[in-house]
Amino acid sequence: MTADSGCYLAVGAALFVLGGIGFVTRRNLILIFLSVELMLHGVSLTLLTFGRMHNNLEGQSFTIFMLTVAACEAALGLSLVLSLYQRTKSLDVDIWSKLSEPDLPKWDKPVQPLESRVVREEHPASPRLTKAGGLPEIDDDFPVELATTTDPRKVLTPSPPDDDY
Amino acid sequence: MSDSAVQGMLYGSLAAGAVGMWLATSPRTGALRVLGSFLASAGLIAAVAMFSGPGGDVTNKILFWMFAASALLSGVLMVTSREPVYAALWFALATLGTCGLFMMQAAPFLAAATIIVYAGAIIVTFLFVIMLAQQQGRSFYDYRARTPIMSIVASWLMLAALLWNFQVWQKSAPAPETGPALTAEAAANPFSQPSELNKVDSLRALGLSLFGDYLYAVEIAGTLLLVAGIGAIAIAPRRAEGTI
Amino acid sequence: MSPATQHLVLWLIPGAPLVAALAIALLGKTVLHERSHWPCWLALATSMVCAILLVTKLVPSTFENADETVMGAMATGYSWLKVGTIDVRIDLRADAMSALMLTMVTSVSFLVSIFAAGYMHGDKGYPRFFGAVSLFVFSMVMLVLSANFLQLFIFWELVGLCSYLLIGFWFQKPSAAAAAKKAFVVNRIGDMGLILGIFLIWDTFGSMDFSKVLFDADNLSLIAQDHPTRMIAICFLLLVGAMGKSAQFPLHVWLPDAMEGPTPVSALIHAATMVTAGVYLVARSTPLFMYAPQAQVFISCIGATTALVAALIALTQTDLKRVLAYSTVSQLGYMFMALGVGAAGAELATAGATAGMFHLVTHGVFKALLFLSAGSVMHSMGDVIDMRRFSGLRKVIPVTHWTFLCGAGALAGVPLLAGFWSKDEILAVLHEAGHHSEKYGTIFTAVYWIATFTALLTAFYTFRAYFMTFWGPERTPPEAGHHPHDAPPAMAWPLRILAIGALTVGAAVAVTHLFAHYFEHTPGFTPIEQHVFHIGLMVQSGLIALFGIAVAWFMYVKNPGLPAKVSQGANFLYDLSSRKFFLDEIFTAILVMPLRGLAHLCFLFDTHVIDRIVDGVGALPRLLSAAPRLLQTGYVSNYALMMWVGALACMGYMLGLFHQ
Repeated sequence: MTADSGCYLAVGAALFVLGGIGFVTRRNLILIFLSVELMLHGVSLTLLTFGRMHNNLEGQSFTIFMLTVAACEAALGLSLVLSLYQRTKSLDVDIWSKLSEPDLPKWDKPVQPLESRVVREEHPASPRLTKAGGLPEIDDDFPVELATTTDPRKVLTPSPPDDDY
Repeated sequence: MSDSAVQGMLYGSLAAGAVGMWLATSPRTGALRVLGSFLASAGLIAAVAMFSGPGGDVTNKILFWMFAASALLSGVLMVTSREPVYAALWFALATLGTCGLFMMQAAPFLAAATIIVYAGAIIVTFLFVIMLAQQQGRSFYDYRARTPIMSIVASWLMLAALLWNFQVWQKSAPAPETGPALTAEAAANPFSQPSELNKVDSLRALGLSLFGDYLYAVEIAGTLLLVAGIGAIAIAPRRAEGTI
Repeated sequence: MSPATQHLVLWLIPGAPLVAALAIALLGKTVLHERSHWPCWLALATSMVCAILLVTKLVPSTFENADETVMGAMATGYSWLKVGTIDVRIDLRADAMSALMLTMVTSVSFLVSIFAAGYMHGDKGYPRFFGAVSLFVFSMVMLVLSANFLQLFIFWELVGLCSYLLIGFWFQKPSAAAAAKKAFVVNRIGDMGLILGIFLIWDTFGSMDFSKVLFDADNLSLIAQDHPTRMIAICFLLLVGAMGKSAQFPLHVWLPDAMEGPTPVSALIHAATMVTAGVYLVARSTPLFMYAPQAQVFISCIGATTALVAALIALTQTDLKRVLAYSTVSQLGYMFMALGVGAAGAELATAGATAGMFHLVTHGVFKALLFLSAGSVMHSMGDVIDMRRFSGLRKVIPVTHWTFLCGAGALAGVPLLAGFWSKDEILAVLHEAGHHSEKYGTIFTAVYWIATFTALLTAFYTFRAYFMTFWGPERTPPEAGHHPHDAPPAMAWPLRILAIGALTVGAAVAVTHLFAHYFEHTPGFTPIEQHVFHIGLMVQSGLIALFGIAVAWFMYVKNPGLPAKVSQGANFLYDLSSRKFFLDEIFTAILVMPLRGLAHLCFLFDTHVIDRIVDGVGALPRLLSAAPRLLQTGYVSNYALMMWVGALACMGYMLGLFHQ
């Protein structure tokens, strides 16, 4: 080993381990993915250093293949993440815990949100704000979409009024 | 410095890094996290510094520490950041730092390619997905790390094992190789001739290696990319317009 | 005839029904449907023609052969089982006895199959029925053509299987399924005896071929001298097998229940053919039985008991088919009586076997006729068979009436009809045995008187059934509809042909001693020097038959109120007969209940011991896994952490390795 390779290897190992921590501790599907990429960086750096040490090009060639595989993995992984997101409307990885023993005492329950950033549902009886300039009139013909979903995007959008309103 | 002193400092800085990491993880807030992040990256850098630094001139040394520090610091911040978007951006910075190190390891092409692929393509894709999926802002699951202590202990043990290993190796370092001796057959091949153009750090040499030695592997990797592209299209959910 | 032709004819007899059975099994449900009877008809016709060819040409041409061991027509097959010194071949072998039986079996089968096409018309299992009948005929014919004991046993079991399939033909009916099971289980008892006997034969003779065991007289006498007790054991074991299959007391209980099957099946399997397999086995093994006179006397006694008990039970049955079933049991008892007379002398053995086989053939004809007629009655009465629910059917179904009368006359032993001649021969042979033998004279005389008394009972119960069905005021059950119709042509013609057979076959064959002359050529039998008619006995039995008929007429036509009075007067005796001597109840008490108790004990052992052990085996891993299963949280992160720890462990191991 050349004398100066050690620090490069140390940086590679540190990046690898940081990625590992992220992989284990993060609960966001996309960030888990990113952590894996960070681990790949560490491995790439190590490979390159080894290649340099042995004075050949195999390390670089391998890194290029790793790059290729990482690109494939990112493409497939992101589409999988998207389809998982479609099912639950959430990126929380803990939702997918079907493998757990059913009668197990949950020693690590999913935590509740710390800050309540979720938009609170409006009281269903309260009148909706209409467009500025319109009359706040509610009659039975007015198609009011009641807030039945917890999705905040839908709660805040009343049904569009008719053109001639 | 004596060996044991180096060892002690190495493990000491690692321990400091671990504590910093523990401080930096959610659900802590505010100054504690900032302090933790810097402590963690400082510990890591210090651990790296226990190895004999890069050879060469001062510029070389400055560049190395700059790149290494930026890579490690942004790595720590990426892992501990609460905001997915920030995490992605920290990751981009970590990629840049790593690419700098690539460059210093005589791999300029790889550095360029990694920046293009990661910072250019993958990070952008990730950001797109994050923005599409988290329009309502931060989510509670980004606010709490899962099993932080256990994973930090395990990871730092692994890091210590790796670094210790490197140290052992460094002490018993063999003489640097000057490349394998060429066989008579290879010597007759003009592409295998060691020349100024065919040096290890030249792009030409890498090209010859890839499209000579690893031609089939390159073709297979190309096919793999194609298949992955088709697969991604097939897996990605069909969705109604305006939603994801 | 050339050997090739002989081969072909012999193999065609079982081959044609087998091909038909396969064809119906494969194509019946998809292609043939309501045409399923055609393969069966064609095959059975082929078999019948070949059997007639066999009995008239092939077998007589071997009679002049000096060597007894090869007497008969052979058709070599193939080696089925060859282990060590055992070489079991599937060969076909026909001699006088088997040829005669084959003729009866194939012709009755053919006629029954024609009848069945009419009788079973419109049934859902129509192809299944003809497939099973073809398979049965194949098995039965192979049984009769067997050249060794093991081959005989295989097809013995196969006819049992066919019988099971056909008794349970309407398996949706619980009673039919139960009857099929009962027949199968009771037959197993007999079959166990048979297979043990065959083992013993193989152990004693080193072979299972008829030619070595039965027809090699010198060898047989040598072995019999060496192992006298073994011979007795073999004979008793074979006898147990024969008793099971031929429904002899006390293993007769399955046969009346077997009437749950379709009536053509009752006619073919449970009257004419399969149940006579036991008689055939004993007659075939007569050379063996000659060395075990105790067994022969036992045969006669069992036969007498069976005949008497069955006849007594038949007196009070009200189900027409059941009367006929008990009469079948009774007539099989007659055959057994005749087969046992060898104990009184070697010459009588031939006469006894002749009488038994003759009765077998005539009985096959007239009993098939009776059953088919009963089936015809059932057909027109809308499947009602209880004689108390109809009467006076003379005018309603004339063809059936006349054919039934012919069969009943033959069964009762009305002079000059089939049954008269064969039964008379049995009586004569028993009578002679009673005088001939010093040692067993008393026994045979008793058997003779029992047989005579049974003849009287036979005439009475047969004509009781006849009068109850066809005489008296005209009554039909509502199931029959407004205009009960007589048998359609497909059913009527077999009835007519069988009726002619029942009227003439005895007279044609017995008067000229054609049957006896032919039969004595069977290997293993000594020819009889002179054939005589016992005119006195004939007159006696004729009178007895007529007397029985007269009593039946007096009780059921002249004074219809009399039977009720008699049954009230002799209440206990009536119950004894109508409840079948409580045999089913006795079997239940002494066999079924203890077995059920044992089964309950086993059940308790199973639930309390074995199940507990199994539960324990299941609980152990649960106990061991109590701690590790806490790791299965289902969270991806936790699995990743485990992976991470695993990688760490691997790394530690490698570092330790480097320092060694």
